[in-house]
Amino acid sequence: MINHPGHVLKRRVVAIAVGMALLPACGSSGSSWASDTRLIDCRASDTELVAFQAVPSAIYMPCVTAIPLGWSFAGSQIKNGLVQFWLDSDRAGFRAAEVTLTATCDIRGAVEGSGPASQPGIVRYEEPLSLSPRFSLLRFDVFAGGCVTYRFSFEEGASSLLVFELDQSLGFLPRSLAIRKVRDLLGLTLCGAEAPPCPG
Amino acid sequence: MIAYIVVVFSFVLFFSPAGELFERFDDRRLLWISQLRTHWLTNIMLVVNGAGSAYTIRGLRWIAILVLIVFRRWRHLFVFLGSIIVVTLITYQLSIVLARARPLGITILAGWQGYSMPSLPVASLSVTLVGIAYALVPQGRFRAVAKWIIGVAIALLWFARMYLAVDHPTDAGFGAIIGVAIALVAFRWFAPNEIFPVTYKGGKAAHLDVSGARGEAIGKGVLDQLGLTVLEIKPVGLEGSGGSTPLRLKIAASNDEPERYLFAKLYAKNHVRADRWYKIGRSIMYGALEDEYPFQSVRRFVEYEDYTLRLMWDYGIPTPRPYGIVEITPEREYMIVMEFFTRAIEIGDSEINDGVIEDGLRIVHQLWDAGLAHRDIKPANLMVRDGKLLVIDVFFVQVRPSPWRQAVDLANMMLVLAVRTDAPRVYEHALRFFTEDEIGEAFAAARGVASPSQLRAVLKKDGRDLLTEFRAMAPARRPVTVQRWSVRRLVLTTEALLGGLFFLLLIVNNWNAFA
Repeated sequence: MINHPGHVLKRRVVAIAVGMALLPACGSSGSSWASDTRLIDCRASDTELVAFQAVPSAIYMPCVTAIPLGWSFAGSQIKNGLVQFWLDSDRAGFRAAEVTLTATCDIRGAVEGSGPASQPGIVRYEEPLSLSPRFSLLRFDVFAGGCVTYRFSFEEGASSLLVFELDQSLGFLPRSLAIRKVRDLLGLTLCGAEAPPCPG
Repeated sequence: MIAYIVVVFSFVLFFSPAGELFERFDDRRLLWISQLRTHWLTNIMLVVNGAGSAYTIRGLRWIAILVLIVFRRWRHLFVFLGSIIVVTLITYQLSIVLARARPLGITILAGWQGYSMPSLPVASLSVTLVGIAYALVPQGRFRAVAKWIIGVAIALLWFARMYLAVDHPTDAGFGAIIGVAIALVAFRWFAPNEIFPVTYKGGKAAHLDVSGARGEAIGKGVLDQLGLTVLEIKPVGLEGSGGSTPLRLKIAASNDEPERYLFAKLYAKNHVRADRWYKIGRSIMYGALEDEYPFQSVRRFVEYEDYTLRLMWDYGIPTPRPYGIVEITPEREYMIVMEFFTRAIEIGDSEINDGVIEDGLRIVHQLWDAGLAHRDIKPANLMVRDGKLLVIDVFFVQVRPSPWRQAVDLANMMLVLAVRTDAPRVYEHALRFFTEDEIGEAFAAARGVASPSQLRAVLKKDGRDLLTEFRAMAPARRPVTVQRWSVRRLVLTTEALLGGLFFLLLIVNNWNAFA
């Protein structure tokens, strides 16, 4: 008399359909809970263009060539003046590595590192903060118009060798490549370093 | 508008040259606008752009939320918050999918964050302003003016963001369309003005405005369908009613009856929804207390009350005489008309003598004999006229109820009567109608939510522990628990938990957009 099973079923079907439609917004779209953008992946796609727009003076953009086993892209923030992304590790913990690009950075206290520079014109500095019980390290890659700060902060007991895993998977995208792509594809200018001056 | 969004979105997403076309089109427009740049105009545009800042939008939202809380307009508040959440989710997720860069080939003059399309600041301001207009501004001239102001504000922000080259024209346009369209649809669907008007006169949101066109429709409906001429429509007893709009109708004299009053209850879809949520909530909290299955339409809703009214009347229980149902708007609004108890006063304000006590107990006995339970015995539903007790509001009446439910009716009636007298006196009278065992069972069953909230409040205010007094007089019985577990309760509880978890995940996974 009161309750029609058809109506209940219909309402549940609608609720499930709405839920399914919203499901991607629950985190399965590749974006994380604190993410502005997708992964910055060294392919000069739109995400990297946005990143270059954020720090127009920088001639390089830090990016991820391939995420190593046990690591995952956890989030990013891109806004004018700053590009930042971070990775989680199943051994080193949440936000174990944080990579930040700004126009300048404070390298006082850091010493010039011996690590191999993957691109010309990049000078590496390192500032070990702690070795035990938690490994913690600040690293700076300084180049014309930009500075990349790497903050490694591992969970207690996690091996410092995990840094080398990440070293293999982080790279740099030259601004010139992105400028060329924008010019060829759209006939437009990616304003900033190494590009013709923009109006305004 | 929504079709436009879907077409453009699909075109750009699945046909990449279209995206490039849009990019070139947008950047050409921006280059043209950049020629207008001057120092003073840039300063003005930076100020205008501040309207789209997180601080401004949060400020506006908090003000709107506080006003809605102060005026207790919960429905408007939830629709407002819901539309903000939906707009934020959609714009944020679309921006991740589309992944569009900021304008190229032109210097960007203001701060920004994330991808550019759709413009989150424009969408946020649009949904906030349109939400404010529909939740806070009364319909009519004020809202019309507000819409113009909002239109100008959005257009100004749109132009400022293009001038400063933080958004492309299509980014800002897309954002404005999403913000305005979702807020409009949300308020028109879930808080339509004809049912939930924005007023500052007080009263419950569940009560419909019966002036104007609805008043005329009620008069015409009563005349056409019941053959009675309505002279006046007056809302009555609004403070005691949240489930309908109670009305007193003044009826013109006819050949066989003088001018008189009738009582009517106007029901709309929102009352059915409210009843549905109320019952779902009770099912989750207490299980199968009684018949908690919700109604599916206003028609069924009003049909059921008409049926119970006639049933009670047929059994000779002193309830209002039924006059029938009036259809105001098919499937949307119906009104049930019944006798108006002129000169009757609520039991809480009336003198109680032994006759009234016996009336109350006799009514419960009649209900038991007829195989009925009233299920809402409380002071507001018991009236006294000329020393006789009358029962109103038979909407919750159940046919062939469980013995537990019938026992609760008895306990509730005795408690109502004792509030105005004392427990021993009521108990003594009750023994003339019921056995000691039956009374003992009644007070073993009457626990917590089994009694209506108004009765519980009255008992609390009274100060005496009437329940314990009655239990002390009646034979000892093991308390009857109100918690009942069933598959339905488990399913509903699981659904509610999953729904809550889903909502939480939506917020958490899109936190960047909200924060």
